[in-house]
Amino acid sequence: MARMKFLCDADRCIECNACVTACKNEHEVPWGINRRRVVTINDGKPGERSVSMACMHCTDAPCAAVCPVNCIYTTADGVVLHSKDLCIGCGYCFYACPFGAPQYPKVGNFGSRGKMDKCTFCAGGPEADGSKEEYEKYGANRLAEGKLPLCAEMCSTKSLLAGDGEIIAQIYKERVMKRGYGSGAWGWKTAYRETIES
Amino acid sequence: MVCLARFARLVIGTGVLLLLISAASPSGAQQVNPTASSVKEQQLLQELNRIQGRVSIPDQRSGVLEQPAGREWREFRNVTLHWIGGIAILGMLAALIIFYLSRGMVRLQSGRSGRTLVRFSSFERFVHWMTATCFIILALSGLNITFGRTLLLPLMGHEAFSEWSQWAKYAHNYLSFPFTIGVVLIFLMWLAGNLPNKVDVAWLKRGGGIVGHDHPPAYRFNAGQKAIYWVVVIGGGLVAATGYELMFPFYLSGIEGMQLAQVVHATAAMLFMAVMLAHIYIGTIGMEGAFEAMGSGTVDVNWAREHHSLWLEEENARTGANDARTQPSAAE
Amino acid sequence: MLIKRTQQRSEIASNGSIAAGLSRQRSGFDRRTFLRRSGLAGGALAALSTLPPGSVRTAKAAMAGPLTSGATVRKSICTHCSVGCTVTAEVLNGVWIGQEPSWDSPINRGSHCAKGASVRELVHSERRLRYPMKLVDGQWTRVSWDTAINEIGDKLFEIRGRSGPDSVYWLGSAKMTNEGSYLFRKLGAFWGTNNTDHQARICHSTTVTGVANTWGYGAMTNSYNDIRNAKTQMIMGGNPAEAHPVSLQHLLEGKELQRANFIVIDPRLTRTAAHATEYVRMRPGTDIPVLYGIMWHILQNGWEDKEFIRQRVYGFDDLRKEVEKWNPEEVERVSGIPGEQLKRVAKMFATEKPSTLIWAMGQTQKTVGTANVRASCILLLMTGNVGGPGMGANIFRGHDNVQGATDVGLDIVTLPFYYGLAEGAWKHWARVWEVDYDFLKSRFDSKQLMEAPGIPLTRWFEAATLPKEQVAQKDNVRAVFVQGHASNSITRVPESLNGLKALELLVIADPHPTTWASLAVEAGRKNGVYILPVATQFECKGSRVASNRSLQWGEQIVKPIFESKDDLEVIYLMAKKCGLADQMFKNIKVENNLPEAEDVLREMNRGSWSTGYCGQSPERLKAHMKNQAKFDLLTMRAPKDDPEVGGDYYGLPWPCWGSPEVRHPGTPLLYNTNLAVMDGGGTFRPRFGIEREEKLPDGTTRKVSLLADGSYSKGSEITDGYPEFTLASLKKLGWDKDLSEAEMATITRINSANPDAVSWSLDLSGGIQRVALKHGCVPYGNGKARMNAFGLPDPIPVHREPIYTPRVDLVAKYPTLPDAKQFRMPNIGFSVQKAAVEKGIAKQFPLILSSGRLVEYEGGGEETRTNPWLAELQQDMFIEINPTDAADRGIKDGGWVWVTGAENNSRARMKALVTERVGKGVAWMPFHFGGWFAGKDLRGNYPKGTDPIVLGESANTITTYGYDPATGMQEPKVTLCQIAAA
Repeated sequence: MARMKFLCDADRCIECNACVTACKNEHEVPWGINRRRVVTINDGKPGERSVSMACMHCTDAPCAAVCPVNCIYTTADGVVLHSKDLCIGCGYCFYACPFGAPQYPKVGNFGSRGKMDKCTFCAGGPEADGSKEEYEKYGANRLAEGKLPLCAEMCSTKSLLAGDGEIIAQIYKERVMKRGYGSGAWGWKTAYRETIES
Repeated sequence: MVCLARFARLVIGTGVLLLLISAASPSGAQQVNPTASSVKEQQLLQELNRIQGRVSIPDQRSGVLEQPAGREWREFRNVTLHWIGGIAILGMLAALIIFYLSRGMVRLQSGRSGRTLVRFSSFERFVHWMTATCFIILALSGLNITFGRTLLLPLMGHEAFSEWSQWAKYAHNYLSFPFTIGVVLIFLMWLAGNLPNKVDVAWLKRGGGIVGHDHPPAYRFNAGQKAIYWVVVIGGGLVAATGYELMFPFYLSGIEGMQLAQVVHATAAMLFMAVMLAHIYIGTIGMEGAFEAMGSGTVDVNWAREHHSLWLEEENARTGANDARTQPSAAE
Repeated sequence: MLIKRTQQRSEIASNGSIAAGLSRQRSGFDRRTFLRRSGLAGGALAALSTLPPGSVRTAKAAMAGPLTSGATVRKSICTHCSVGCTVTAEVLNGVWIGQEPSWDSPINRGSHCAKGASVRELVHSERRLRYPMKLVDGQWTRVSWDTAINEIGDKLFEIRGRSGPDSVYWLGSAKMTNEGSYLFRKLGAFWGTNNTDHQARICHSTTVTGVANTWGYGAMTNSYNDIRNAKTQMIMGGNPAEAHPVSLQHLLEGKELQRANFIVIDPRLTRTAAHATEYVRMRPGTDIPVLYGIMWHILQNGWEDKEFIRQRVYGFDDLRKEVEKWNPEEVERVSGIPGEQLKRVAKMFATEKPSTLIWAMGQTQKTVGTANVRASCILLLMTGNVGGPGMGANIFRGHDNVQGATDVGLDIVTLPFYYGLAEGAWKHWARVWEVDYDFLKSRFDSKQLMEAPGIPLTRWFEAATLPKEQVAQKDNVRAVFVQGHASNSITRVPESLNGLKALELLVIADPHPTTWASLAVEAGRKNGVYILPVATQFECKGSRVASNRSLQWGEQIVKPIFESKDDLEVIYLMAKKCGLADQMFKNIKVENNLPEAEDVLREMNRGSWSTGYCGQSPERLKAHMKNQAKFDLLTMRAPKDDPEVGGDYYGLPWPCWGSPEVRHPGTPLLYNTNLAVMDGGGTFRPRFGIEREEKLPDGTTRKVSLLADGSYSKGSEITDGYPEFTLASLKKLGWDKDLSEAEMATITRINSANPDAVSWSLDLSGGIQRVALKHGCVPYGNGKARMNAFGLPDPIPVHREPIYTPRVDLVAKYPTLPDAKQFRMPNIGFSVQKAAVEKGIAKQFPLILSSGRLVEYEGGGEETRTNPWLAELQQDMFIEINPTDAADRGIKDGGWVWVTGAENNSRARMKALVTERVGKGVAWMPFHFGGWFAGKDLRGNYPKGTDPIVLGESANTITTYGYDPATGMQEPKVTLCQIAAA
């Protein structure tokens, strides 16, 4: 079974933010919500690395485990999705998430925060694939169209990889082998409890 | 607590990072090979259990790239808290049932005198009941967040359960305000009568008279009631404070602070509920004549004599030997 | 409900394998597509030949979803930098509904940066200009297009009558297509002025001049893709990770696959430097000492390419004398870089070849910009790193069509395609345009002004405000017609306010009001400003030239929205109003006032022999866009047997010799002698004579040949250097027999008095080029590149301290050039530098201020700051400051500061970004912000609803005097400032 994953090769990431705006473009994500973001570690210092991060679609996703209303689920592709109809905006997923993925449309208290929003791996939500309702709530469903997440497809340096975990791990491994260095598959240990030997 | 230790480690770790940053001199940047010295994820995680960097968006909290601490919190929320809550609440219920079955209601030994004494003013009763009502709703809605998914969801189905939970969450958030006001008023209103004194020691030594038919002397509030008072004030305060931290994310702390807040909030609330069960028991079916104090506001003089002898003496001394302020009860 | 999807998915789960599940569930999503969409085709794996790239590319297009079904796909080119990324748009019912990765483009291969991935929003922006407006007593008032054009035209005539044609400044744009830029320049010529300029002036004018003066053409020699071949990549004065993000795909993959050295020399530890194998921090403004420092080690160790120098380089001995002055001690004293590090760099660059040198505005935007790029070229020549794969001067240009706009002559020093301004050039274009030379001459104030370079855009406000006698034309500039250029990207903004006030007429033709509008109001203007809404480039069609000289044809994605008009239409309307339309559009089809872009390109093809723009017909360019997938990633060449694009290099990178029928494939790498000319090979261009008389120390003179010595392109029938081809030289070789009768007739018509003098660049028949190519020769000749570029202010580059330098101790030894008159204007840099030293400016303003790009914004930034997807990512203007400097001043990261500048009591309020990206004593600002001035928010100055989302202080409020003597380039990269907590 395909197991969808993200992998950001930090030795390629240049913080160009294409992933961020591609996501905005594809899903018409409103101002204030960043389903994906790029964080630069050791900014301005030698060894600086930037990493693009969104929902990692964890194995045994913590958000799903702690959701009081059980509105988060994992598809057969390993994509972690949620139902905005069921979400009560309590913020628990957000406490549990190691990657800061869940977002809320309104700043302020959880009482009026509205429904949680996060990266869908461009796979929409529980509604019918490609339907208008699905688009309005979750954005485009590229996976159903045979496409991968736009952030990775448009990545300027092919740093951000999306797709079947085994294949992207293989790509990364070969890259590291070829070039002789790699700072690791960021977030994999936390999200998937595995690392790519490099 | 695990999380507390984790939190402490974070604080220390951040300090270390700052030291490292300040130690690195800019002139040293000339001779390096950034690829060779690039930051490594596992190394950062081992050092700080958290990876943080710079983001250009104003939302600086999104600069936290990774914080696996959520795992421990998840463990707490999904396992530890269930045990704490289960043991505290079910345990208390079981204890009360056993106690009730073995001891039954504490009766007025000398029967009713027919004369009554004002114990709580209408304002005091209003505050009590406002707080109590809020508490019950907060407790139920809170329990729903913890146990609802296991207990109610299978019965109600997804949509109905979400609908109910949504309303429960609104209630939880908005009723927190009157509840907090109630706790503050309780604190101010009854502080004078709840400062511990020597009588409490004696009262406690005699086990409050729960075993057998002893009636250790007490002022207006006996040590047991004082304990309830302090549980309400401290527990209520703690629950309110941590609750607001959660309700207004990032005003006071980052994610790890909120995780900690949730741990404190939920644990305190579970214990609070257990204590309140005992309080409800003793105020209702546990003791004859007790409910009237918060019901009508007056108690029978005999009840006062048996449970709060010193208070009765005080009241008598204040109002004259004739029990001038006592009045015929409605029943008389 | 949840259950639905779970069920749906479990069906897939039950049937086992990935591919089966995927292909059944999602038609089109087969394993190949999957691999490709995993980024695999672009990744290392493809290059490791685990999977042949070809097989990956043939995967079928993915299925469109229900929401996008029925959408048509159109391709255009991203407008935000010079990489030339293809933008693939999905259009439904005239609305641009989505962007898809452009997998087929060999340049971007699906990728974009933040700007490219959000271009759709530019078109749909709620904040775009909707209709023409004019400023009436301080109020923006809607007018019709007819009214606007009529009133503007009448005013222009009035000004022309009083002050002459040169009093109107035509400021065009690198944003326009080739066709737009060309027509804009043509309009300037027909109007009668050389005051026509565009952004190249402030980005790479020094490159164009410096590089062309070295080896013939002032453009990137190789391509982004070709950098993959380099063993050593040296980036000096550029931050492509932020300015050209998609180029980093080629740079980083090249770095990985070749295990290449990746050297970054920069005052900042940029996002590019973060990936360097060797990062060198230098003091801003010391490029020449650093480059000479590297060359010193090369010469010291004999690492230079002696054979290359002997065959193909002129002036090496003159250079050696200058390099010898720059021993490691002096280099460290001036630049701050230790000798050992530069030795390491020198060794890598000279011995681990092929090496390429990459630069952008870090080298060019200086008073010594031309000399900087010359020194860079010299380093390449010294190490034999020009004219082959993985080598060359990879000059990253700024805008999507800045190379093209430069080529088509939207410039003050030349007519289209670098013909210059001499009488012969005018006569050539008069023949191409089929107008009378005397008619053109009559449009100008004088023949002298017709042949004199115009005023650089960097000086427009001084041209409007200086005493009339200091401006070498009939009168001051009285009107500015600006189509697609920001004002906040020009230095000395406080002084530009005086210019804005002094103008009689300001016309802003742009999709956005720009800072021209907000600053004009701030300057106190109440009337005499017009705003014309112009369509974005996605609403126009035409060709654009990427930095690698490839031409790409962009389709119109949607029709111009609101009342906005295509650039070409605006130009046509102005020409019509000026009574020039019939002459100007003699050979160009015009429909509903819109000239046909294809026809404009055909006219360019007919006249652009000098630069080899003659082979890129619209038909060929369109075929390239259609067949993008066929071009190889590394060579950019299509298979020879392809019926439509067989053997072509992608985008027919100029020079693409001869007429389209000659089917020259384009030249992917300039000056590459290892290929035959008809395969894209070439030689250095002998552009500065064929021999030079040198004075010897004993007073005697000798003549030295400037032609190549024993080096020639593959298959050349002349196996040595040779001059440019003329009819006379063909005759001498006996090749004139190869000319057809028609060609001969055309040549005779061009110069009936002396047909022998007709050269390859003037021959409108293309016959001379065709014959030269037939014999394997390059039409322009085969010369030597010049280390000594006699004719330039500094023929051998000389270090000169910036006008405002913190190292006042070095000014006496390394002063800037004396005051002089250039481009109709005085250049008083020397006096300013002297006064700054005397006044102790460096003590009051101790921090070096530099400026540069952010990935989210472009240029003056109005367009990108209006795009919410981008604006959200950079909401505040900031200044980078080193932690030590910040601590000294009590400045906190994210806190507000006042930045004060060395001139005009300038000050600007912004946030501090405390970071070690900048070294101690250096501060850095992004230059894209605008809409604030000296702490004041000018949001109210914009027409209602058109203000960009993000406003901020312009970096150029603080920048200061300083102009390159050879091009009029400004100096925003090095000045001084002081910062204080606000």
